Amino acid sequence: MMDFIDLILEPLQEMLLRFKAFLPNLLAMLVIVGIGLLLAKLLRAILLKFLAAVGFDSWSDRMGFTTLMRKGDLWVKPSVVVGAVAFWMLVIVTLMVGLSALRVAAIDSLVGEFFSYLPRVFSAAMILLIGYVVSGFVSRAVLIAAANAGFHYAKLLGEVIRALLMLMILAMVMEQLQIATSIVLAAFSITFGGVVVALAIAFGVGGIGAARRIIEREIAEEKPQEKQDDIEHI
Amino acid sequence: MTDFYQTGIITTLHQLGQPTLERLESELLGFSKTRPIALVLPALYSEFEGPAMPGIVRELSKVKYLNEIVLTLDQATEDDFRRVREFMSPIQTEVKIIHNSGKRIGEVYETLTRNGLDAGLRGKGRSAWLAYGYVLARGRSDVIALHDCDIVTYSRELLGRLCYPIANPNLNYVFCKGYYSRVTSKMNGRVTRLLVTPLVRSLQQLSGQHGFLTFLDSFRYSLAGEFSMSTDLARINRIPSDWGLEVGSLAEVYRNYSPRRVCQVDIAATYEHKHQILSADDAEKGLMKMSVDICKSIFRTLASDGVVFSEGMFRSLIVTYLRQAEDTLMKYEADAMINGLTFDRHEEAKAVEAFSRAIAMASQAFVENPMGNPLIPNWNRVSAAIPDIFEMLRLAVDADNK
Repeated sequence: MMDFIDLILEPLQEMLLRFKAFLPNLLAMLVIVGIGLLLAKLLRAILLKFLAAVGFDSWSDRMGFTTLMRKGDLWVKPSVVVGAVAFWMLVIVTLMVGLSALRVAAIDSLVGEFFSYLPRVFSAAMILLIGYVVSGFVSRAVLIAAANAGFHYAKLLGEVIRALLMLMILAMVMEQLQIATSIVLAAFSITFGGVVVALAIAFGVGGIGAARRIIEREIAEEKPQEKQDDIEHI
Repeated sequence: MTDFYQTGIITTLHQLGQPTLERLESELLGFSKTRPIALVLPALYSEFEGPAMPGIVRELSKVKYLNEIVLTLDQATEDDFRRVREFMSPIQTEVKIIHNSGKRIGEVYETLTRNGLDAGLRGKGRSAWLAYGYVLARGRSDVIALHDCDIVTYSRELLGRLCYPIANPNLNYVFCKGYYSRVTSKMNGRVTRLLVTPLVRSLQQLSGQHGFLTFLDSFRYSLAGEFSMSTDLARINRIPSDWGLEVGSLAEVYRNYSPRRVCQVDIAATYEHKHQILSADDAEKGLMKMSVDICKSIFRTLASDGVVFSEGMFRSLIVTYLRQAEDTLMKYEADAMINGLTFDRHEEAKAVEAFSRAIAMASQAFVENPMGNPLIPNWNRVSAAIPDIFEMLRLAVDADNK
């Protein structure tokens, strides 16, 4: 009978011992997460103050970031979005650090992978940010140049250039984040290549006459003047 | 029936003979192919609970020449907004409602404020200005017509006659103000009759002939809330956000265009809308508030055109005004008598006294602060500061109307 009771109690005792050993780790995780949350809130408040002081919202309005947000039906201040992104990044990092304090092998490897992925997220965000500004700048420059040249579809051309650049930038971002890299690369190559080939054919076929005239003019200019007949007729 | 006398330096388009609505509307339908027309309606939610709006919607549902209707809805909750959308649904023309108290439009105002652009206080001026911005953002109309939403005697003819001078490409007008007699069983329109006209004529007496005063005096009903204009004008005109809206807008038209391109049109034989109380003892509400704002707007416009206002001139102005107003009062009494209208001379005299106090208050406010409330900036200025503002506004309104 005693053996039977031991058989039941032993696993319970073992579980209790394991839990006792695990308890400090759990407490450490809770403390880390708690402090992390407070720190994240504090940093968000400081970041919001800083962004307000440097006029980040006005800058975003002029650079078109606010419009980009509105297109995504996001109707808050750009600085609030930046603050929220920073806050949740810190919360996630804190959570990861907290989980690593549990010292569970499976979680440790997950945390390691997360931290090794972070630089990619950062560089993807930078590519997206800089790419958006550059695409806007190039698109506007094309629009102005085309409008000044009297091109009828200047606005359309500017928008097409912006769309193509954004397509390229999004492909770069996806590649950086290593999301379906081969599919993204193939889709980008086909789409971008298709557009370029289509433009080349359209321009080539449409410009046959113009090209012929230019070549003929070039040849005519290079051709030496025929020698004048030096026989004088009486 | 009216005479055919041309008043002042602008063109007056009278209602002569028996013009038919069918001819007017069929011509407008033709003009709208090359000059699409947008109708702007600044409205409060309370107006949808009043007697005027059902009639306006009923009439507008029969109009075929309008390209778009933009209604700016103020003082309304989300539920009110949904009810108004439902209310406007019988109208065939595309109707877009700007939810002025909504979150998205609130963010648009916030964007303007943080970029140093003051859209002014809540009111008809700001509502109308925002609606012009939306019409410009869509870029689908060349003509904008605007009327209030409290007209109990509304008819399609009013809208047709209002749109015609700007929509007709052969006439070359850029701004057209509506006029009508404010008569029921008695004479209404006290602010125009007993304040604006006598004040303008007193100022002419004191400062001599001045272009703006002559321009203002040319309008038969300068405070009428109904007008039409080209979208180019909507782009460059600044708008006052207070009760000086009508006079301030006319000052901007005078500043930007030749009077030859401005007209006024007789739009209705009868016109009835909600009346403001005089509020003679409180200058912060009713007709007194309106009067003070109008006087300040006139003083500031004249000052910006080089007229020098001294303390002595303001003292003389009040006395001159009183004489002018008393003479005017007698003319209207005679007019009322021959037409069998009720005319309460005592009430009218009390109104004149209140208006003279309003002039004194406006004079003092002008001396203390000659700049006053800045006008709402024009849309060219706004888009120079925030290049994407039109797109932002369009996105906000379209998302609200989904």
